[in-house]
Amino acid sequence: MAVAEWAVELKDVRKTYRTGSIEVPALRGVSLQIAAGEFAATAGPSGSGKTTLLNIIGGLDRADAGEIWVAGQNLQLLSSSELAHLRLQRIGFVFQTYNLLPVLTALENAEFTLLLQGMPAHKRREKVEKLFSEIGLAGLEDRRPAELSGGQQQRVAVARAMVTEPALILADEPTANLDSATAIALLDVMEHLNRATGTTFIFSTHDPQVMERARRLIRLRDGQIARDETRDRQDAGVTAKGDAG
Amino acid sequence: MRSVLLLVKISWRNLWRNPRGTALTALALGLGLALLLISLGLLDGGHEQTIAAGVRFGPGHVVIQAKGYQDSSSDELLLPATVVSRIKGFLQTAGMKKLVRGISPRLLATGLLSSSANSAGVRITGVIPQDEPAVSLIPERIVEGTYLRNDKPSGVVIGADLAHKLEVKIGSRVVLMTQALRQPGNETKNGAGEEMQSTLLRVSGIFRTGLQAVDANIIHLPLPAAQALLGVADGQVTQVAILLQQEGDSPGVARALRKRLTGEPVEVLTWRESIPMLAQILGLDHAFNYIMNGVILAMVGLGILNTILMRVLERRYEFGVCKALGLKPRQLAVMVVGESLALTAISLALGLALGLSVEHYFATSGLDLRWIFKAGLPPALVFDPILYSRLSSNRIGWSVSIVFAMATMISFYPALKAARTELPDALKTL
Repeated sequence: MAVAEWAVELKDVRKTYRTGSIEVPALRGVSLQIAAGEFAATAGPSGSGKTTLLNIIGGLDRADAGEIWVAGQNLQLLSSSELAHLRLQRIGFVFQTYNLLPVLTALENAEFTLLLQGMPAHKRREKVEKLFSEIGLAGLEDRRPAELSGGQQQRVAVARAMVTEPALILADEPTANLDSATAIALLDVMEHLNRATGTTFIFSTHDPQVMERARRLIRLRDGQIARDETRDRQDAGVTAKGDAG
Repeated sequence: MRSVLLLVKISWRNLWRNPRGTALTALALGLGLALLLISLGLLDGGHEQTIAAGVRFGPGHVVIQAKGYQDSSSDELLLPATVVSRIKGFLQTAGMKKLVRGISPRLLATGLLSSSANSAGVRITGVIPQDEPAVSLIPERIVEGTYLRNDKPSGVVIGADLAHKLEVKIGSRVVLMTQALRQPGNETKNGAGEEMQSTLLRVSGIFRTGLQAVDANIIHLPLPAAQALLGVADGQVTQVAILLQQEGDSPGVARALRKRLTGEPVEVLTWRESIPMLAQILGLDHAFNYIMNGVILAMVGLGILNTILMRVLERRYEFGVCKALGLKPRQLAVMVVGESLALTAISLALGLALGLSVEHYFATSGLDLRWIFKAGLPPALVFDPILYSRLSSNRIGWSVSIVFAMATMISFYPALKAARTELPDALKTL
């Protein structure tokens, strides 16, 4: 099976939302392969299908048709419980509005998924503290989300997503609520983690800074891939892999 | 296990995100429990007092009388002297003695009591003066004169209402007239010992119980005088009334007596059988109280349901995030139930503290209801107007369990709501 070679593989994925008699096609036959270790972004205007694509790759939503392979598993064949297990073990999420649990400290938020995995306390703390010092959160472990800046909260969210060492991180407009300097610092952190751990990153974004930093940019329009560019950031060269638009 | 601890930690902290709301909800549920404890304490205390008064103005916790007396109320049905001796002997045994507070043989009949001013129908109760005080409340309620004494065989004790009607006071002479009881061996030629008998008595004491039916009708006179008046052989009585140390021992003592008196023409009744109306009234009161408590708890329960549900609906997005991170529906439900249980635990502590404090006050100082009964108690009501609360540990355990079970059940619906958080709808921005 060739599917295991890719971190993510989509084959002719279709999704239509229905409200009463109104049908809104969100994805219209998207096929895509993303290799392990890629630092990719999806971009496009509102309604182009970015969010739906991320939801379907993350197992948060189901496609009407097609195949979705993530970490060697066909998501269309998994139950809700199996999808939850896959998300816990193999996928990390970074949300636009951070979405930290307000009643937990930064450290407790970051170790939340490790705890759900059943890791002992000393190992959890060791992992989180190491990650915190790597991404500039050392000393903030005991603060609640309300006591952190937006950039710090988003870093905690990245730590929460990274700490389980997932195969894939899905980040939905992670810089949308951050100022430019903070956004650059966050992208530095994520790019560093991508290079250091080989974790696959897929963003959805409107932010030109993210598009600039992504080594692959998938442009969506009307639920289809309009352009798929792979960049070599060393020489700023761009290779268009396809144009379905 | 670790994840359960995390969920419990989140639940506990979630409670204090809105301290005022949590405090108000806990107070509402706590008040519900406190009201339940207070009302049950007063109900049980009131019932205990009512039973104590009812049996002491009546036939005791257990009564033994001739077979058929309960249904016919025929004064001619008497217990033979040999049976009375057997009863007394049995109740003196070591096993029974510690359970029994008093034994009083009584001879009952109806008669007409006359003074120079007036006459009134009365219920004659012939008693042994030294035995009756251990069973009956009447000797304790003497307001003028003294109770009966063996050295004053012609003394009679009457109620205040009767004294007022007859216009008599201590030392006044009264005439008691009645029909001799028809007994085997003393029939007249007309077919029965039906001739009228009368005796001159002197009022030695006047009692006031507050119960019109007792104060206007009952008279006590020494058993030998009553037996002589009614033409009854020495040792024969209508009933043997037994007062126990504990009301709860009534069925057991009655069973033991029935067994001992097997073959004798007698009936052994507990107070529930001998005063069925009292038992029915208490039963109705219990039922009414349970309904009232049910209504209170239902109202409190709906308040809690509303609070927990609102908390869940407000955090739909948060539950969506948890679910996206890999939390299973069951774990989300545990988190909500945990939050509800933590809230319930606080409420129960509040409710117990408040309820038991008030209950303790009513248990020691009593709840004085005399202002309600200024004009006197209703004739049929055997009721002490100062209510003393009595709450057993069983009742406390039962009340706490009921409130706990209710709060737990109520949390299931919001927990189900949380567990059914739909992805990706709950995550509007993803």
